Amino acid sequence: MGILDSAPVPRRTMVLFFIVDTSGSMTGSKIGAVNQAIREVLPMLDEISANNADAEIKIALLEFSSGCRWIYDEPKTASEFRWQDREASGLTDLGEACIELGRKLSRDTFMKTDTGAFAPVLILLTDGEPTDDFPGGLKKLKENRWYKAAIKIAIAIGNDANEELIKEFTGNMEAVVEVHNIEALKKLIRTVSVTASQIGSQSSTVGNKDKQGQVVEQLKKDVEETEGAYSAAKPAPDPNDDWD
Amino acid sequence: MAELEPGLKIDLTNGEKLKILKEIGRGGQGIVYLSEYQGHNYALKWYTQKYSDDFYNNLKENIQHGAPSKAFLWPLMLTTKQNGSFGYAMELRKKDFFEFGDYLLAKVKFQSISAMIEAALQICDGFYHLHLRGFSYQDINDGNFFINPHTGDVLICDNDNVTAQGQNTGILGKARYMASEIIAGQKPDKYSDYFSLAVILFMLFYGNHPFEGKKVVSCPCMTEENERKHFGSEAIFILDKNDRTNLPVRGVHHNVIRRWPLFTKVLQDAFIEAFSQDLIKNPTQRMMESKWEKIIRQVRNQLVVCSSCENETFAGSDFVSTCINCGRPVEVKYRLHTNDHGILALTPKKIVLLGKIKEPVAVVRVSKKNAEILAMQNLAQAKWIVETPDGKLKDINPTEFLPLEKGLKIYFTQHEKGEII
Ligand SMILES: Nc1ncnc2c1ncn2[C@@H]1O[C@H](COP(=O)(O)OP(=O)(O)OP(=O)(O)O)[C@@H](O)[C@H]1O
Ligand SMILES: [Zn+2]
Repeated sequence: MGILDSAPVPRRTMVLFFIVDTSGSMTGSKIGAVNQAIREVLPMLDEISANNADAEIKIALLEFSSGCRWIYDEPKTASEFRWQDREASGLTDLGEACIELGRKLSRDTFMKTDTGAFAPVLILLTDGEPTDDFPGGLKKLKENRWYKAAIKIAIAIGNDANEELIKEFTGNMEAVVEVHNIEALKKLIRTVSVTASQIGSQSSTVGNKDKQGQVVEQLKKDVEETEGAYSAAKPAPDPNDDWD
Repeated sequence: MAELEPGLKIDLTNGEKLKILKEIGRGGQGIVYLSEYQGHNYALKWYTQKYSDDFYNNLKENIQHGAPSKAFLWPLMLTTKQNGSFGYAMELRKKDFFEFGDYLLAKVKFQSISAMIEAALQICDGFYHLHLRGFSYQDINDGNFFINPHTGDVLICDNDNVTAQGQNTGILGKARYMASEIIAGQKPDKYSDYFSLAVILFMLFYGNHPFEGKKVVSCPCMTEENERKHFGSEAIFILDKNDRTNLPVRGVHHNVIRRWPLFTKVLQDAFIEAFSQDLIKNPTQRMMESKWEKIIRQVRNQLVVCSSCENETFAGSDFVSTCINCGRPVEVKYRLHTNDHGILALTPKKIVLLGKIKEPVAVVRVSKKNAEILAMQNLAQAKWIVETPDGKLKDINPTEFLPLEKGLKIYFTQHEKGEII
């Protein structure tokens, strides 16, 4: 190997976690939109990762309904990740999902790297009311240091999502958006994943808002430009729902 | 904020219009479009983030001042505020230029050490001119440079954050490239630029980050707080002479582990000094561009071609050299002791470059008749005058050869002279 042949610089890892509600109420157009939007965002994430000298982006997905399951047993790079359509049925065990997420937010499992990691991004997608002990599960998760450092955003789908509870997951209302139609859901999944990954996978900018604050600021703009999307801090004036 | 459609005509502050042709790419701050103005193509950077009036006015002033040097893809024309935003036009990046990040990701590599050295010199020179104007760049990072891997030519982009020193438009760079006092909350100035410059130069030569060693890779979660620590208040150079807690890690920091011992000691010493705790913590003591240029030219003086393997290697005046590629000895029979630029090793195929003059002054060649005889060919436009040890003068015209002999004095130009030793 010549002296000028170099190895790529070691990069940190930034794991993007999707925590996706696949309970019965998501059946039909909602789960369809989730399937389509995540499939479409993967190549965008791959491109951001490929051009980023600070970090490599990996993706993990936890689905919850009656119980919860990881789609793969380890985070995968955006280029490796293969999407298989999800179907919806069962309860909304978000509490259990929190406990499982906390288990994997650990250096022994999902956060294992040779070159360190940036704080992860957690994106929660849900349309309903948790059916298990969500407060108990979340309390446990809140002790996790990765969770504490993470960029956290939630997308609440439709009128039935309990935003007061979801807010407990993100830490504040500004980081919760509610969407009231399919197009808004798809668009927000894409923009939130891209923005949060872009910001989360770079060395932090000095003197600016923190990463969570930057993501929230961008989120506000996306919401303003999206018909049917509202910040949970400023919910829909007269909620009208187009879900089947 | 609205994106721009192809065909749209955008108003410039000079009263003329610029036509959008198509999108070239987008980043965190905006979208770059291919555009046309009076029959020429330009890149239009169009902001999709909100920026203050100060930012806009600063951009306007920078356009009035003009580029500090040719190395800058400087804002040339400003648009009025319209479609909810604004932008500026600049020259298009030329072909064969790649973002510095692509080098770090090993998508592109320098084709020669001399191109690498040239790039380092051009980066220094660009910032020298910028600082001379009283500006500071503010957020030097791996996205700001486009480099030609064959020639080492550099284009410095993203010049919209450049401001007069002591001012700031609110945009500060990435912690990984920032001086510790900026990370701690102070305003950027030329001294903080000097720091970022040293980081960039280190990464250019060694292909790894100067503060990312054992201590930093073993930090499991690089939170913003940890980043401020490891790159700010507690930054330790990975090759610090006194503190060995942050050494490069085998299997992780390949490039620096391989290149550090091979690249000449002059360069090692410079970085050890630049990243000493003393200079990290004392901004006004930091090495300025002119000092870096001097050091890098010394490195260039030592760069020769190995006669065994034909690859580039280093040969100094104060050490016996072996080739960094094939390990065979590199014999230096003659050296050129210049008045201003140190000592150059004169070995076969050595290209003699002096100071800031971009064109080579001479090349060393072996006589076809007798391999023992070396000569220097005049590559300059003008004749040299040569003085022999016994005081006789003769001309060496462009393309003519001067057989090397100790004691010869060469007057290359009015200012540049040297003696063969
Ligand atoms: N003068 C130019 N000529 C050609 N392409 C350019 C020019 N300037 C920028 N680009 C390209 O346009 C894209 C967006 O670049 P830009 O520098 O605007 O991003 P940015 O918003 O500064 O991104 P970042 O978030 O990395 O700072 C990049 O792909 C870049 O290579
Ligand atoms: Zn050799």
